[in-house]
Amino acid sequence: MTSRAARSSIVIVVVVLLGAAWLSMNRVPAQTPATAAGSLPRMADGKPDLSGIWQVLNAAAWNIQDHQASKGVPAGQGVVEGNEIPYLPMALAQRNENFKNRLTADPETKCFQPGVPRMMYMPYPFQIIQTPTYIGLLFEYVHTTRHIRMNSEHPEGPIEWALGDTRARWEGDTLVTDVIHFNDDTWFDRAGNFHSEQLHLVERFTMLDRDHLNYEVTVEDPKVFSRPWKMSMPFYRRIEKNIQILDYECQSFDS
Amino acid sequence: MTTLVSRWTLRVSVLVAAIIVLVFSGLSRSAIGQAPVPFRTPPPGSPPAKIRPYGQFAGCSEEPALFHRCAMEKAKTFVPPRTPDGKPDFQGYWGRIGIRNLENIEEHPESLDGSGGRSSIVDPPDGRIPYQPWAAAKRDAHFEKYLDAGQYCLPDGAPRFAWGATKFVVQTPGYVFMLNDYADTYRIIPTDGRPHLGPDIRLWQGDLRGRWEGNTLVIDATNQLAETTLDHIGNFISPDAKVVERATMIDKDVIYYTATIEDAKVFTRPWTVAFGWRRNPNPKYESWEQGCWEGVQSSLKYTDEGRKRSRGAFEK
Repeated sequence: MTSRAARSSIVIVVVVLLGAAWLSMNRVPAQTPATAAGSLPRMADGKPDLSGIWQVLNAAAWNIQDHQASKGVPAGQGVVEGNEIPYLPMALAQRNENFKNRLTADPETKCFQPGVPRMMYMPYPFQIIQTPTYIGLLFEYVHTTRHIRMNSEHPEGPIEWALGDTRARWEGDTLVTDVIHFNDDTWFDRAGNFHSEQLHLVERFTMLDRDHLNYEVTVEDPKVFSRPWKMSMPFYRRIEKNIQILDYECQSFDS
Repeated sequence: MTTLVSRWTLRVSVLVAAIIVLVFSGLSRSAIGQAPVPFRTPPPGSPPAKIRPYGQFAGCSEEPALFHRCAMEKAKTFVPPRTPDGKPDFQGYWGRIGIRNLENIEEHPESLDGSGGRSSIVDPPDGRIPYQPWAAAKRDAHFEKYLDAGQYCLPDGAPRFAWGATKFVVQTPGYVFMLNDYADTYRIIPTDGRPHLGPDIRLWQGDLRGRWEGNTLVIDATNQLAETTLDHIGNFISPDAKVVERATMIDKDVIYYTATIEDAKVFTRPWTVAFGWRRNPNPKYESWEQGCWEGVQSSLKYTDEGRKRSRGAFEK
C-alpha cells in the first residue's frame, strides 16, 4: 500500500516535471532581455551596480526610425518598436513640418538640453553614479546632470523641465523609472519627432552583463500620440583605460 | 515790453537747455566709464569696511581669517563619519560660508548688492590678491566690461566651483562627485591615482584629481580651458594656474575649505583663500533643474547684443 502510494506519487512528480519543462520550452521569451544575473557587478545592497561610463552606438540622435544616410548623418536601423510612431493626425503634420525645418527648428541646435530620452542616446558618453537612494547621470554633452531619486514621490506640478522629474524603484534586477513634468522644448531626434508637456516616460534599465546595459523606454503623450510606444537600445560600457568624461560646452562655440 | 521779456526768457531758456544738454550728455558719458563699484576693495590703509556681522558655525566665527584659524585647530581632532570604504563621508547638500556673497573675494563694504565681507584671502596676510600690475588693471577692466563666463551658463572653473552654488556631494569607491545647483553642472573627481590628462585637452572646470591625506580631501586642478573669474568684480586666474583645494570636515555639518593658487603669469606669489561649507539644514532639499542657458536664450535682446559683448569672456 505504502509502496504503491509512493510509486504513484513519483509518477505524478515526473509527469508534472516533464509538463513544466515542455511548457517552459514553448514559452514566449520574457520581455526583459536575458541577463547573466550571477555575473553582474553588484552594490553592497545586492542591486546591480550600474555605475560607470556608458554610450550608445547608434544613430538615434539623428532619427529614431529607420533612415538612409545623408550628408553628415549616418544611416541607422530604428530604435522604435515596430518602427512606427503613432502620431495623432495634427501632430503628424507638425512632425513633417519640423523635419523640413530641422536644421534651425531643432531646439538642440540652440544648445538647449536635448531632454529625456534624447539625452540618453546622444553620441557622447555619460557617467552613472549610484547609491541606494540616488542615481546620477552626468552627461558630457552640454555638461548636464540628470537626477534619479529612489522610492520617492514626484513633486507637485505643474512644473516644466527639459529633463523632467525622475523617480525610480528596483523591480528585481531592473531599474524602473517614472518621468513626468516635461516642457515641450525638446525633440526626440534631429528628424523632428516631438512631444508636448504631457510627455510621460517609463524607462527600464537592465544590465545584460558587466559591459552592456539595456535601455527601454515607453513613451506616452495623449496630446501627440494615439497610444503608448516603445524604444529600446543597449548602452555600451566605455572600457578604455583612464576613460573620463570631457567637455562639450555647446554654447561656448561660435555658432 | 512783454515781447522783450518773453524774448529774453526764451533766449535764457534755450541757453539753459543747451547747457543742460551739453553738461549732462558729457557727464553721463564719463559717468558710465567711472561708475563707482559698490563692492570694490577699499585702497590700502583704509579703515575696515562696514559690513553686516558674521555668524558662528561649529563654534567658529564665519569671518574668513578667524574661521581659518579656528577650523585648522578643530580639523586636528574632529573624527569625521566614514563611507563604507573608510573615507571621510562628505555626502549631502552643502552651501558656502565665509565667502557670503560672490561680489568680491577681497574685503568690501555692505551695499545694496550684498552684506559685504572681510577678505577671504588668508595668505598673503594683508588679504589682497598679489596681482602683477597688468593683471590688476585687467581685473578692473573686467568689471567695467561686465565679463564673466557665468553669463553664458558655463561651468565654474576651479576654485570658483568650490564656493559657487549649493553642492550635492556623492562618493563612490574611487570617486568624489560634486553636483552643482548652478547650471546643472557637475565635477567628477577621480581619487584612484590616475595621471592628469595630456596638455592638449583643456576643460572648463579643469582636470581634477583627488587624494585623501588623512581626513583631508586634496584636489589638484590643472588644464583649465579659459580664464576663470572668481567673483562678480572680475578677480581672475589664468588657464595655466595650478589650483590645490583642501577640504576637511570639522563638524558633522561643517567643512573647512581652502584653495591655493599658483600662477606665475598673473601673480607675484602663490596665495590662499579660506572659506567653509555648511550642511543644508533642510533634510528634504533636492537639486532641481535650473535650465540656465535656456533661460538666457529666452531673452533675444540679451543674446544678440550680449553675444558680442560677452564674447570677451572667452578671450584668452
